[in-house]
Amino acid sequence: MVEAVTTQINMDALKRAIDEVFYTQINSTILYYLQSCVNCKACEAACPFSATSLEYSPVNKAEIARQLYRPRFTVWGKVFGRALGGAKKYLKLDEVETMVDYAWHCTECSSCMFVCPMGIDSGALVDLLKQVAFKAGLTPEIYAKINELEVSGKYLEIDAFKQAWQGIISKMKEAIGGDVPLDKKGSEVLLYVSLYEVLTYPDVIVKTAKILSKLKKDWTFMSQPLGIRPPIGLVVGDKEGAEKVMKRVLDYFREISSKYVVMTSGGYDYTALRYTMHETFKVKPTYEVVHITEILAKWYEEGQFQIKPVDEVITWHDPCNLAKKGGVIEAPRVLLKALSKNFKELPNHGINALCCSGGGGTCGLNSDFIDNIAKMAGFAVSEKDKKFLENTATSLINAGKKKADEINKVKAKEVLTGCPVCITSISYIANYYHVNSNVRHIIDLLEDKIVVKS
Amino acid sequence: MQLPFGPYPVGNSLYPLALDLFIPTVFFFFLGAAYRIGRYLITYQKPFIPYPTSSVRGNISGGEKVKELFNTFANSSRVGIKRKPITTIVGLLMHIDLILIIFLLAQHMIFWSYYIPPYRVLFPLAIPESSASGELAAFYWSQPFTPTPYPFVHDVWGPLTIILNGQYLTYLLILLLGIYLAHKFIVVAERLSIRAGDWWFFVLLYIDVILGFLATSHIPNNIVWYDNILGAHILVAEIIIATLPFTRGFHMFEFYFGKIREWYYMIYRRWMK
Repeated sequence: MVEAVTTQINMDALKRAIDEVFYTQINSTILYYLQSCVNCKACEAACPFSATSLEYSPVNKAEIARQLYRPRFTVWGKVFGRALGGAKKYLKLDEVETMVDYAWHCTECSSCMFVCPMGIDSGALVDLLKQVAFKAGLTPEIYAKINELEVSGKYLEIDAFKQAWQGIISKMKEAIGGDVPLDKKGSEVLLYVSLYEVLTYPDVIVKTAKILSKLKKDWTFMSQPLGIRPPIGLVVGDKEGAEKVMKRVLDYFREISSKYVVMTSGGYDYTALRYTMHETFKVKPTYEVVHITEILAKWYEEGQFQIKPVDEVITWHDPCNLAKKGGVIEAPRVLLKALSKNFKELPNHGINALCCSGGGGTCGLNSDFIDNIAKMAGFAVSEKDKKFLENTATSLINAGKKKADEINKVKAKEVLTGCPVCITSISYIANYYHVNSNVRHIIDLLEDKIVVKS
Repeated sequence: MQLPFGPYPVGNSLYPLALDLFIPTVFFFFLGAAYRIGRYLITYQKPFIPYPTSSVRGNISGGEKVKELFNTFANSSRVGIKRKPITTIVGLLMHIDLILIIFLLAQHMIFWSYYIPPYRVLFPLAIPESSASGELAAFYWSQPFTPTPYPFVHDVWGPLTIILNGQYLTYLLILLLGIYLAHKFIVVAERLSIRAGDWWFFVLLYIDVILGFLATSHIPNNIVWYDNILGAHILVAEIIIATLPFTRGFHMFEFYFGKIREWYYMIYRRWMK
């Protein structure tokens, strides 16, 4: 895999990138993550990629970050580190390849943090490696291109994207039987979606619009997308690019100034747009960014609608960003329990849910999606990148075995979730392991079960 | 040079040296700890909290937050027992065992209370050296061989002293630490991450436990050897204590900080109803 990513490495650029990242990104939290690990390897049990090899366990992946940290910030690392190992000022060629390989075997799902006795989020350290890789030009070309498309705003010039966006507006119009309110300031709900969701699950977006209409909500939609899946930079290691994109999103949210910004995605974009964006710009929002399950649970509890239950066994996959990082665990369950008396929890759920293994750019920008985007944007996927993407699929298959097993265990007909990447990844895993379950977004099943009191 | 003390020659052994070095050890420990904590303070940036602690459906109640604080601490072991039972159970037992020996073993309690007098309030909880008597009992095993009408030593632990005694806890600790050390060799064989600090801490700890066991059991049964072995036991412990802020051993303090931090940000700040 690594050969596919790094055929030509500019070692000077790499050294600069390592210095830049490690001398600017150390704060007390990162410092704690770097120096407090006791190497107990408890995190092995949490990481989906440990199934492929223990080499991909969180502590092992994060060790490269620790090796780069020690000669810069510890007396031990400066004095003895090189002789005794454990400290590297810079990386050799083979070590660079390993670093890049590790960086793309982490979904930054935070599963390791909740299992770590010390509460260390190894994903945050792997993210440092992703930033190094990006700055040194070692990010897979196709990821870098898509990111650049988003950061520069040039995605808005691509006809296929424009058509997809206009297409979803037309479908919504048809579904609600009227005009879609666009960019309406001061509305109660801004339905926020990205191009990624439009391309992945247009039906879910249309159904969400139908629900908002059915509930007679004052809602609005975006006349044009704010990015491909803003902020992609956060998962490919382009922090500066991500900031530019988040600024664009923030300005739009503030301009519309709705009461709620409702997202159908519970992926990295949920935590990025709910938390990271406001933390980065130190803005206290006048609106609340929420996941669709949060707002629907609230309205359901307020008695604004009822749910016609189904008989099937249903289960819920907790998206990592929504549940572990966002704390949204109970809200979807309010809806699920109303949706079926046969709602069953997966053996591992809530903060201990098994990651879908597809987020954080590992397969979050999955190969089908990449192919689609590349075709639409008119650029070719190189052989190197094809190979890289094929390898991410192998990792996904290995990592997903446990997930497939636990879905089989509860014998759920419907595996519901709230994140496009989780749907894509788990569907892929379910298909590979012949799991007899339908994997879809909760809105997909819920929409026509919502009954509004007259 | 050895000085006569009653019938025993004592004197120039490691024991007085070790005792003399205890206060400097504590000084070095605090110096190191201040350095480590100072680094956190220097790099600290006040986090910006964009949302209050309530959200669209309100947050979980205060009571639930406290319950979740307990869960935050327990989650690691709970998941570990389910997914990695052997290493987790070995790890948990090893920690419990080590804490009992360090802080409640009678001999250690006397040592601690000499330097920290209020420590005496814990004396009633002292764990005896053996289940049968306070005498040296290296090979007495669990059966009470003392010629008294009492089956067990007089302490609050009663029959529990069959297990809760210095000797058995030490046997168990040697076994558990041995498993840990063996695991480190497996990690080396698998070419996974291993650090010089792992060896430093575990090997020193292992040596120290064995030295403590030999000293307490008077093996070899000679007063000069006793003084030297006990002195070596304390000296090794002092090396561990002095270097604690620079090794994994500091997790005995940072563990609480890390978990409370996790709870504050992930549960208190974010967890929603």
